[in-house]
Amino acid sequence: MIRFENVRKQYGDNIVLKDISFHIEPGEFVVLIGPSGCGKTTTLKSINRLIVPEGGKIYVDGKDISKIDPVQLRRGIGYVIQQIGLFPNMTIEQNIGVVPKRLDYSKEEITKITKDLMKMVGMDYDQYANKYPSQLSGGQQQRIGVLRALAASPPIVLMDEPFGALDPMTRTVLQKEILSLQKKLKKTIVFVTHDMDEALDLADKIIFMNEGNIAQIASPEEMLNNPASDMIRDFMRNTSISAERLDLTAGDFTKSDVVTAYKDKSIRAATDIMARNKIDSLVIKNDDGTYAGVVTIKAIRRHGKSTGTIGDLKPYENITASIKEDAKKTFDKFYDSPDNFIVVLNEDNTVAGFITKSSMAIAMADTLWGDM
Amino acid sequence: MDFSIVWEHLFLVFMSVLFSLIIGLPLGVLAYLKAPIRKIILWIVEVLQTIPALALLGLIMIVFGAGKLTVIIGLVLYSLLPIVHNTYIGLQGVDSGIKEAGKGMGLTQMDRLISIEIPLAFPMIFTGIRIATITTIGAAIFATSVGGGGLGSVIYRGIRTQNMDLILFGTLALMIMAIFFDILMTWVNKHLEKQV
Repeated sequence: MIRFENVRKQYGDNIVLKDISFHIEPGEFVVLIGPSGCGKTTTLKSINRLIVPEGGKIYVDGKDISKIDPVQLRRGIGYVIQQIGLFPNMTIEQNIGVVPKRLDYSKEEITKITKDLMKMVGMDYDQYANKYPSQLSGGQQQRIGVLRALAASPPIVLMDEPFGALDPMTRTVLQKEILSLQKKLKKTIVFVTHDMDEALDLADKIIFMNEGNIAQIASPEEMLNNPASDMIRDFMRNTSISAERLDLTAGDFTKSDVVTAYKDKSIRAATDIMARNKIDSLVIKNDDGTYAGVVTIKAIRRHGKSTGTIGDLKPYENITASIKEDAKKTFDKFYDSPDNFIVVLNEDNTVAGFITKSSMAIAMADTLWGDM
Repeated sequence: MDFSIVWEHLFLVFMSVLFSLIIGLPLGVLAYLKAPIRKIILWIVEVLQTIPALALLGLIMIVFGAGKLTVIIGLVLYSLLPIVHNTYIGLQGVDSGIKEAGKGMGLTQMDRLISIEIPLAFPMIFTGIRIATITTIGAAIFATSVGGGGLGSVIYRGIRTQNMDLILFGTLALMIMAIFFDILMTWVNKHLEKQV
């Protein structure tokens, strides 16, 4: 479908593509990846002649593209970019219809195409078709950006970091959508990204580029198992953020401002502390400072007397976690427990602090959306 | 008081801005599209505006003689700068992602200009038209020196005959005209910007 033969491109003395050769089969989802400046975007833009190489040949559908009028060539190749680039002076329907209109489709056909495409990504035609791009969220805008590229049913779609500017949640949703669109429509997709996770999720074939050369062409599994060089291995490790986050421990989420009391505190003093701090449970420590349990205001009321020490009460065995414990394990345990907080213990069993459900929620949001 | 002279003044301004637009818009587009001649175009329109309006009219009078034609030619040249400049800046300022998307989807250069870039640059271009209109209202008082009429003649007559009423009438009419067009066109501009 697409074939590169010894393609070379340079800007002045700076060679950005050094004799690149590869081919892409019809219906393949190919991801171009590599560090910035590796030539991946240059490669992509040579396919629709936004960039013209100095040497070598590029064939699309068996035809040498240097011999095709660029306008005709581009109308047959969908193009999606990171900046989205919807035309703000046109409605959604007009945006989707840009290429079909120039290929002389009738108004009815364009409306039908718009309806069908919007349905595929779950956007209501009546609600959105006559809106302007600025009235849509970023994720919705890029959905339209993708649909616009598909509108004239081009066999090939080029995507230049299309989801790079979206928040991780929206990105994940759109990645799923593009995969299902690809399954339905059987397009040949060339996709540029610098996010290895994205490449591994989407690609049939990954082309890894570095300094204007192709470092490896492989399926995602193959590249994961047998990276051709240390450079690729490092790249996969560094960009894979989620793997890094798995190293977090319970200690990373522990709030240390926990209110504690020794066992020999009188019950009256303990209730005072709870009232002053506006809390309904108190973490109890043994004489040597190790964790003994939790006393709740309910337990004190059940006890009935305000004389004696809290040591006389049977402490509630609240759920605990070690400070070194893997955060995911802690969260799973906590999630299944009826307790309102989890007590985090140091390795010598002294109290390090606690994690509440709300601090767990914040931590999970952080891993999903980055630091808030 | 003769109000027909106000209309005469407005006619001069209107014709000048109209022709300035007819010449300036393509020049601005050319400056945007053709990098090699961009500097020359922008330099010429800048130089034209540094020439004092009266001197410019005098020069043109040598060729075209006294009369309205000379006035209009002079004012057109004089008001080219904001129109050419703002057209160029406006087109240049259209988001690069939008331009790239248009190009990458197979829109021709002319198509991109007409359906995307000029509509998006229009608020900026309109600002240029507004500036041209306001400066031309002022500059048109020199029309009288080359036999073009307008409010300038009222003011000059007032000065020569020490007639305060005439001076006041001329000046007030000019001020009101300038303020009126400024407010009106600023308002239009705000609406244009909102649309884009």
